[in-house]
Amino acid sequence: MIKRHQCSFFFFLIRMAHRILLFICKPIFHLPLRIFASHSYSLPFSQSQSLLPPLTTTPYSLPFSQSKSLLPPLTTATRNRINNRLWCSTTVDATTEDVSKRYLELTDDELMRQCEMGTFRTSGPGGQHRNKRDTAVRLKHLPTGIVAQASEDRSQHKNRASALKRLRARIALKLRKTVDLEAYSPPRELLQILPPKSSIRGSDCGPQIGPNNPKFLLGMQALLDLIFAVEGSVSDAAKYLGLSTGALSRLILSDDSLRMEVNELRASKGMKPLK
Amino acid sequence: MKLALSTVYCPHRFSNLFRPSVFTALWSPICSSELSSYSPTYVKPQFHVPLFLRPPIYSAKLCDLRKWRDWAEGVASSIGSSFVQSDNGPDSSILCRELKWLIEDVVEDHSQFPQTGLENGDDDDMRVKMRANLEELYGLWKQRITERRPFQYIVGCEHWRDLVLSVQEGVLIPRPETELIVDFVCDVVSNNEDLKRGMWADLGTGSGAIAIGIGRVLENAGRVIATDLSPVAVSVAGYNVQRYCLKEKIEIKEGSWFEPLKDMEGRLAGLVSNPPYIPSKDISGLQAEVGRHEPRVALDGGIDGMDALFHLCDGAALFLKPGGFFAFETNGEQQCRTLVEYMENNRGGSLHNFEIRSDFAGIQRFVIGFHK
Repeated sequence: MIKRHQCSFFFFLIRMAHRILLFICKPIFHLPLRIFASHSYSLPFSQSQSLLPPLTTTPYSLPFSQSKSLLPPLTTATRNRINNRLWCSTTVDATTEDVSKRYLELTDDELMRQCEMGTFRTSGPGGQHRNKRDTAVRLKHLPTGIVAQASEDRSQHKNRASALKRLRARIALKLRKTVDLEAYSPPRELLQILPPKSSIRGSDCGPQIGPNNPKFLLGMQALLDLIFAVEGSVSDAAKYLGLSTGALSRLILSDDSLRMEVNELRASKGMKPLK
Repeated sequence: MKLALSTVYCPHRFSNLFRPSVFTALWSPICSSELSSYSPTYVKPQFHVPLFLRPPIYSAKLCDLRKWRDWAEGVASSIGSSFVQSDNGPDSSILCRELKWLIEDVVEDHSQFPQTGLENGDDDDMRVKMRANLEELYGLWKQRITERRPFQYIVGCEHWRDLVLSVQEGVLIPRPETELIVDFVCDVVSNNEDLKRGMWADLGTGSGAIAIGIGRVLENAGRVIATDLSPVAVSVAGYNVQRYCLKEKIEIKEGSWFEPLKDMEGRLAGLVSNPPYIPSKDISGLQAEVGRHEPRVALDGGIDGMDALFHLCDGAALFLKPGGFFAFETNGEQQCRTLVEYMENNRGGSLHNFEIRSDFAGIQRFVIGFHK
C-alpha cells in the first residue's frame, strides 16, 4: 500500500511514530494525532478519548435510565491497578499487525490482565465494617484507554463479567483499522455476519451469525472498518459486500450499538442517520 | 445479644427451628423440582425463607403496589444524607436502589416490569402476584428505615459471586470483598491437581459463602469442611449448601474454629477464613446496619481485632499438609503486615511464601501463603 504513495517514506515514519505513541503513551495522545486516523488504528470519536467519560454519557454505563442518579458520583471511584498476578497489566506488542482483532480473540482472563479494574467506594475501611452493596465495576483497557462498566447486578462478580462483555463490544466499536479499498476482500468474520443472499458469501461460511452470538463482534468490527473507509456511505459499502443497500442497512439496524456507531459517523460527515 | 436480636425479627425460638432432621426434610435443593411444590404451611415456624423463594400466594392491584412504592421512595428520599452523616450509612440513592431490588424479589413475574418502574402496566386494576402482602411490605420498609435493619435480612438473601445465598439475623452477610478469596483458590488449584482433589476448610463459614464458592471450584474428589460456632449459621449454611446441591462435597460442622477438625492435623489441602477482625473499640461506631443487627461474634476480633487471625495462623501451621494453601481476610494494611510479621517470626518454620493481596477498592485486605 505504501508503494502507491509518492512520499511513502514520510507516511511510513508517521505511521510508525503514531503506533509507538498509541501503544506506549497514554490514550490522551490520540487527540493531536487524529488527522492521521485513516492511516492507522485510532479511536475515531472524541467521546472515547476522554479517559473517564462522565457516567451519564456513556451508552454502556447503565442499562436503566432511572438508575443514573442512583450511583455514587464518579469522584468517589477509585481506580487502582490491583497488583497481583490475576489482574496485572501486560505490555502489548506494538508491532503485531492486527492488534485490535487480537484483543477480541483474547480469553476473558487475558483481556482482564490488560485492564485496570476499579470499584466505587466511599471513605472508610470497607470489609466487615460496611453494608452498602457497592458492587459497580469499571474496567479500563490500558492499551487503548477504552472504558466499560457495569452496575446493574447485585453481585460484584457478575458486574465484572458484564463489564468485560461490554468492553469487548466497545473495542469492536471503537478500534478502527485501515482498509485498502482497491484490494479489498472482506475477512471471513465479516462474511459470516452477512445475510446468505450476499453474492460474495460462499456456502462455506456457514449460517449467518447474529448479534447475540459473541462472534458477531469480530464481524461487526470488520464491517465498521469498511464503512469508515467509505466514509459512511452504506451504498458504497454494500457494493463491496455483494449486498443491496437495503440489505446492508437492515444488518446495521439489527444491532443497536452498531447502528449508533454508524449514525455517529454519518452525522459527522453531514449525512442523514439510518432509521 | 444474638438471641435478643433474633427475637425481635423472628418470633420463633431458634432452638426449635434448626434440628437437622426437620431441616433436611424440609429444604429441598435448588436443582430439585420439590421447590416449586413446597408447602408454605411447613415454613412458618421454622426458618426465614428468602423472599424470592416464597410462593407467590398474594396479589395486589398494580395501583396499590405503586402507591406503596411511591411511599417507600418518599421515605427513602426524606433520609437524604442523614445516615451518611451519622454513621456513614446508606443515602437515599442507595435506599432507592434497594427498593428496586426488593420489588424484584417480591413480584412474581418481574419481567412484566423490565425497568422495575411498575410503569409499564397501563391497567391500574391489574393484579400483580406477589410473594408477600402489601401490609408486610409496609412493615419491612419501615424496619429498613427506622430500625436500619439490613436490606439483606429484609429480603433474606445476598447476591454474592454467581450465588444467591440465604441470610438472616444471626448470620454475617457476606461482603463483596470476600468474593476474591474464591478467586485466589481458583488460581491456586488451576495448576495444582493435588490441591484440587484435597480437603479444604472454611472456618467461621457464616452463610457458607466461601465454602460453596470453593466447593464449585474443586474437582469431584475435593471436599470442604465448613465450621461455625453459631447453630444459626450452621443451619443457614446447610440450607445454602443444599440449595446448590453440594451436600456430598461440603460438610458443615458446629464448633469453634479448628475444634471440629480434630483428626485433620497435617491433612488439609487448603484453609480459608473471613474471621471477625474489627477491633472491639470500633464496634460501637459501626454503621447501624452492621453494629445493631449483625452478630457481634462474627465481627469483634478482640482488642486489636487479631485474636482469631493469630489463632488461624497457628492452626494453619498445624493442620495444613505440605504444600497446602491458606487465605485469610483482614481489616486492612496494618493487620496484614502484623500477621505476616507474626508468621515470619513464629511460624516461619512451617509456613512460607506469604503475600498480601488488595481488594478491588485497593485496600490491602488478604494474607495468603503456603505450608512448606
